[in-house]
Amino acid sequence: MVLLEAKHVSKRFGGLKAVNDVSFAVSRGEITFIVGPNGAGKTTLFNLITGVVHPDSGSIYFQDQDITKLAPDQAAKLGIGRTFQIVKPLRNLTVLENVMLGAFLRTSKPAQAEEEARGILTFLQMEKFLHLPARGMGLPMLKRLEIARALATQPKLILLDEVVAGLPTVEAIKLAMLLKRLPEWGISAIGGIEHVMQVVMKIADRVIVIDRGVLIAEGKPQEVVDRPEVIEAYLGPKYKEIGL
Amino acid sequence: MSHRQFIAAAGFFLLSFAVPLVVHSDYTLQILFRVFLFAALGLAWNLVGGYAGQLSLGHAAYFGVGAYGLALLSKVGIPPWLSLFLGVGLAVISAAIIGLVSFRLRGPYFALCTIAFAEVVRLVAKNLPDVTGGDVGTQVPLLFTESSIKSFYISGVLLTGLAFVLTAWIERSKFGYYLMAIREDEDTAMSVGVNTSRVKLWSLLISAALTAIGGALYASLFLFIVPDQVMSLDMSVEIAIVPMLGGAGTLFGPVIGSIVLETAAEIFKNIFQEAHLLIYGVLVVMVVIFLPEGIAGTIANKLRLFKKAPAGSLAAPVPVRPEEEAERTAFRK
Repeated sequence: MVLLEAKHVSKRFGGLKAVNDVSFAVSRGEITFIVGPNGAGKTTLFNLITGVVHPDSGSIYFQDQDITKLAPDQAAKLGIGRTFQIVKPLRNLTVLENVMLGAFLRTSKPAQAEEEARGILTFLQMEKFLHLPARGMGLPMLKRLEIARALATQPKLILLDEVVAGLPTVEAIKLAMLLKRLPEWGISAIGGIEHVMQVVMKIADRVIVIDRGVLIAEGKPQEVVDRPEVIEAYLGPKYKEIGL
Repeated sequence: MSHRQFIAAAGFFLLSFAVPLVVHSDYTLQILFRVFLFAALGLAWNLVGGYAGQLSLGHAAYFGVGAYGLALLSKVGIPPWLSLFLGVGLAVISAAIIGLVSFRLRGPYFALCTIAFAEVVRLVAKNLPDVTGGDVGTQVPLLFTESSIKSFYISGVLLTGLAFVLTAWIERSKFGYYLMAIREDEDTAMSVGVNTSRVKLWSLLISAALTAIGGALYASLFLFIVPDQVMSLDMSVEIAIVPMLGGAGTLFGPVIGSIVLETAAEIFKNIFQEAHLLIYGVLVVMVVIFLPEGIAGTIANKLRLFKKAPAGSLAAPVPVRPEEEAERTAFRK
């Protein structure tokens, strides 16, 4: 069953076509990864889905509802959670309060929001840091905090923008194994990743490759990385025949 | 607010009510009224400027509308207390208009926009002599049958108490969390479903209502107001400096700030006469340099180093220094 569908979406910034006529669909309970080199348009695609920017043409549907022109807070209310590539914690609030903020989307009671937040932080193995302010945390914990905050909004779909970028490999794999369990909770995920392919291969059900704003390949992880056009996008035409 | 803080606050307000039983000097009571008035105004500003982090430098507009609302409406025969509340209503309406426009801007542009609006309100009041009396000013009715300063002092304490209780409640509510989220990062707030424009506007409406009540009290005490006094940029700045000095975004900050700043101003006035503003300025600069989180904020953050703070007891926000901000945003698209 289709959860999210993008139809011929384009977005241009001045002379740059950041996203160019991209169409794809994401099914319920699936983990999809959008991969592409730096500047391929992954973050723009996420910003289009969450209403941070609106497409110049094309339309986006979430659960058969047109969300093309929605504002970010309305998208969140519908059940689209997101994390930011450049982490955006609420620096002066504690870890617990950061996550409670997400939980407040579905409840008005602080006690209930706190309980919700504690549960999610336990799932992400952050219970030791509950009362520390976010401003002192290192990147691995801030990346997890981004996920925790988004999960607290009880999303149906979560967009994970470069969620393992900048993490040591061990930490990245650990986090990926946690994310693999999201469908158990009825949450679908779209990840955006530049090059940490181990993570993609481990947890993705499906991979979409974009390069310079254009969708160039789509399919199962292994079959996608073998395609010559994907290799070319990453390594240049010279390596097209050699393979990754 | 912890148990101990609650007892401290309750004790403070009870003692404040008892002050007129001991202090009989009109001069002292007038200074104390000023302390409580600015504590209340600071608490009101703190909702927008402290918790929500929107640096408003135009609160004199709401203060002035409250003052002029009382003066002008009672002139056409409306009873003073009713005029006061209608004036508060007018201030809320002007806050809605100002907020809808200025909240579209972020950071320093927002601050400039609020200054501009307050100046517009002041200039309108100055240039409509038939309605407002213009530069000559206008008379304000007494709110209390006894002209005694005691009634003003008590109403000042009550207004501060109201603003304090309101803030304490907001601080622990969903609305309070949303305000703080907006201060910390507006994009993040939106990503978890916060309608930031609406939340900011609500905080401004509450803030403007409280500020307007303060304006009306102030006007009624002095019985005569002119635009350059109640709607001046000086007034806007003072309303903002009190909570910033005490600790913006903290519950106790505005009260502490007002006690320190207003008594210091009065003492300096007596000692240094004409030079008092200079000393006052130096004091403000020193606090901003050495205690950027304000007095209450610095204490709260120091205490946090010694013990693990319980959930919800937020330390004061630490302002981001420009170079740090540049570093944070360097790679942002």
